[in-house]
Amino acid sequence: MPAQATLGRAYPVRPARRTFLRANGFQQAAMMLPTCLFLVFLTIYPFVYSVYLSLHQVKLTTLNRAVFVGLRNYTNLLTDGLFLHALRNTAVLAVCSITLEILIGFAAAKVFFELSRWRFVVVLRSLYLLPMMATPLIVGMIAAYVFNPTIGIVNYLIELLGGTPVSWFGEPTTAMAAMVLINVWQWSPFMMLLTLAALTSIRDDLYEAARVDGAKWYHLVWYIEIPSVLNVVLLGAILRIIDVLRFFDVVYVTTRGGPGDATMVVTLYAYLQDFQFFQVGVGSAAAVLILGISIVVTTFAVKLLRVVEDA
Amino acid sequence: MKHWMLASISALSLLAASGARAEDIDFKGKLGSYPSGTLKVISESDPYVDAIKATKDGFTGLTGAKVDVDAYGYDALHEKELLGCSQSDSTYDVMLIDGIWIGEFVEAGCLDPAEDRIAKEDPKLIAWNDYTPSGAGQATWEDKRYCLPVAIYYEMLFYRTDLFDKAGRNPPKTFDEVKEAAKFFTNNKDFPGVSGYAMNNQRGAAAGQQYFEWIFNAGGSPWKSNVVGAKDAYADMTPTLTSPESVALVQFFKDMTKFGPPGVEAYAWDERANAFAAGKLAMINDWSVRAQIANDPKSSQIAGKFASALMPSVSGKPVPPVGGWVMCLNAHGKQKDMAWNFMKWFASPQVHKQYTMAGGTASRVSTLQDPEVQAKFPWTKTIDESQKTAWTEVRPRVTGTFQLIDTVGVDVNKAIIGELTPQAAMDDANAKVTDMLKTSGLMK
Repeated sequence: MPAQATLGRAYPVRPARRTFLRANGFQQAAMMLPTCLFLVFLTIYPFVYSVYLSLHQVKLTTLNRAVFVGLRNYTNLLTDGLFLHALRNTAVLAVCSITLEILIGFAAAKVFFELSRWRFVVVLRSLYLLPMMATPLIVGMIAAYVFNPTIGIVNYLIELLGGTPVSWFGEPTTAMAAMVLINVWQWSPFMMLLTLAALTSIRDDLYEAARVDGAKWYHLVWYIEIPSVLNVVLLGAILRIIDVLRFFDVVYVTTRGGPGDATMVVTLYAYLQDFQFFQVGVGSAAAVLILGISIVVTTFAVKLLRVVEDA
Repeated sequence: MKHWMLASISALSLLAASGARAEDIDFKGKLGSYPSGTLKVISESDPYVDAIKATKDGFTGLTGAKVDVDAYGYDALHEKELLGCSQSDSTYDVMLIDGIWIGEFVEAGCLDPAEDRIAKEDPKLIAWNDYTPSGAGQATWEDKRYCLPVAIYYEMLFYRTDLFDKAGRNPPKTFDEVKEAAKFFTNNKDFPGVSGYAMNNQRGAAAGQQYFEWIFNAGGSPWKSNVVGAKDAYADMTPTLTSPESVALVQFFKDMTKFGPPGVEAYAWDERANAFAAGKLAMINDWSVRAQIANDPKSSQIAGKFASALMPSVSGKPVPPVGGWVMCLNAHGKQKDMAWNFMKWFASPQVHKQYTMAGGTASRVSTLQDPEVQAKFPWTKTIDESQKTAWTEVRPRVTGTFQLIDTVGVDVNKAIIGELTPQAAMDDANAKVTDMLKTSGLMK
C-alpha cells in the first residue's frame, strides 16, 4: 500500500474523488455554456458582423442592398483627411490630457497626503472626486454652459481679471484646449486617487531614513515618492488611454467636432458615419480600425509597464 | 339710423359666423372609438410641440384614445426614427419628420403612403389645396402624398422694433442692407450690449442648412437643375457650389461674424434664438416657429419688441426657404387606422387653427390669413407673404440629405473660421458632394 511520508503518521493516499461534475463532460460543458453564449452573441458575433459590414458599401436603412467592396472602406478611411485628422486629434487629446492629469493628480494627492491628519480632509477628498462620478454627457452639458462665450463663467472670470472674452468653441485652438481642460477637470481626481493610494503605501521608515541622511522635501519626492507611484500612475495612464480612445459625449454635446475639424475625434467620426449618415459600412470599418489601434496602443503600454516594474 | 346699421352689421356677422361653423366638420362618430387605446407620436422638440400637446386631448375626448407625444432634438429624432424603422419598430404610430428627410424615409420603407387614405376622405376634411403649396410639397415625394404638413416653417428676418425705431431705421431687404444695419448696431454706444446679427455658423448641419437656405437669395443654386420653379429639380444634380454667387455667399457669412457676439462662429439654432430672446442681438434670420421663443414673456426679454420681415436677398426679391415637419404614418405601426384618424383630425382646418392659436405653426393658407391668428401672432402676415414666393426644393430632399448638408456645412464652417478661403472651401465641398452623389447613384 503506497504510503505518503508525512510527519509522524503515514496516511494512505486516497485517489481523487470522481465527483459528478468531473466525471460528466456534458455537465462541464453546460456550466460553461452561459459564458460561451455571452461571448459568442455579445462579443464575437457583433465583432464578426462589424467586420462583415466593413467589407460592404451599405446603409443601415437598406441593409438588403449591401454591395461587397472588399477592403475599399479601409483604404478610403486611411486616405480620408477627416479620419486621419480625427486620429491626430485623439492622439493630441490623449497626450495633453493624460500628462496634465498625472501632474495635477500627483500634486493633489500630495496635498491630501500631507493633510491626511487633518480632520476634514475626507470631506475635501470626496468633493474632489465628484467630477469623476458625473456621466460624460452631463459633463459635456455643464461644459457647454461654463465655456459659453456670452453667459459662461470662464469668460466672466476672464473679464473680471481684465481680459477679453474668448470664443472657446469658435476657434480651433481654444476648442481643443477646452476639450483638454474638461478632460483634466473630470479625470485628475482618478489619477489623484491612484497616486494617493500609492503614496499611502510607502513605508514611514524610508522617509525617516532619508531625513536622517539630510534629504530635503524635493529629495523625498524625487527619490522615494515618484519611483513608488510610477507603476500605479502608468497603470492609470493605460486605463485613461483606453478611455480617451472612447471620448465622445463631451465633444458631441459641445462642438460636434468643430470648429472645422478641430475637435473631431475617432469615436465621433464613427458615430457620424453610423448613426447620422447611416453609412454602416464605413462606420464599421472605422470601428474595426479604432479597435485595432486600441489593441496596439494598450499592448505597447502594458509592455512598458512590465519594463518599469522589472526595473 | 346708427342703431339700424349696427344691428345689420351684427346680423351679418352672426350669419358669417354661422356660415363658418357650417364649414366645420362634426367629428363625432367619424374617428372611431378607442376607449383603452394609446397613440404614440414622436416629434421634434421645436416650440410647436407644446401646441400639439395642448390640442391632442380633443382627440381623446372624441375617441377615448390617449395620445402620448415624445419630443427629441433634431439629430436625435432623425437617428431614433430611422433606427426604429430599420428594426421594424412599431412603438410610434405617428412620426413627424422634417420635409427634407422624406426621400430617405421613403427609400427605407418607413412611411405608409397617405394617398389612398386621402382619396377616401371628405375633401373638406383634408383640404389639401388649403396647405401652402411649398408646405404641401414637403409632404410629397415622387408625386405621391405620404404625409400631412402640420408644422411648416418659413425662414424670415426678425428684428428688434425698439432698436430700429430708436435708430429711425427700416428693416433691411438686401444683403448689403443687412450688413450695413448689423455693422450699425454692433459696438454702438447708443445700443450697449447688443450685437448686429448672428448666423448659423456651427460645423455641420447648422452651417450646411444655412447655406441652402441662403443660396437662392444670393442669386445662386446648389445644383444644376434646381432652379426656382423647375419641374424636376433633381434631374441633374451636378453641384454648383463653386459658382461666383456661392463663393460670395460664403464670404458674406464670414463677413457677418464681425457683427456677432463672441463665439458666434459656433452658434447654431438654439444659441441664436436664445441670444435674440436675451436682447443681445438686433437681428436674426430664423424659422417662423422660433418667433415663439422671443415672444414668450417668461423667458424672453424682448417679448412684444420685435417684428418680422421677408428674408433678405441680394436682389431684394427673396426666395423664402421652406422647412418644417410633416406628420406621417409609421409603416411598421400596429394601429394604423387609429393613427390616420388622429392625423386627419389634427391636420383638419378647424383643429389646425386651434393648434395654431395654441402656439403651433400655421401651415394652411386659411389659417395664415385668419384675422384672429394674425392679431395674436403678428409675424403670421410675413409667413403668408413668404409662402407666396417660397421654393419647395431649397434644401435637398434626396436620400443622404443629412450627409450632404453636413458635408457642405463642414466646409462652410472652415471658411467662416478662416481655416480655408471661401473659394477653397467650396471647391472642397463641391468635390466631396460630387463624389457622394456619384457613389449613391444620384449623379452619373
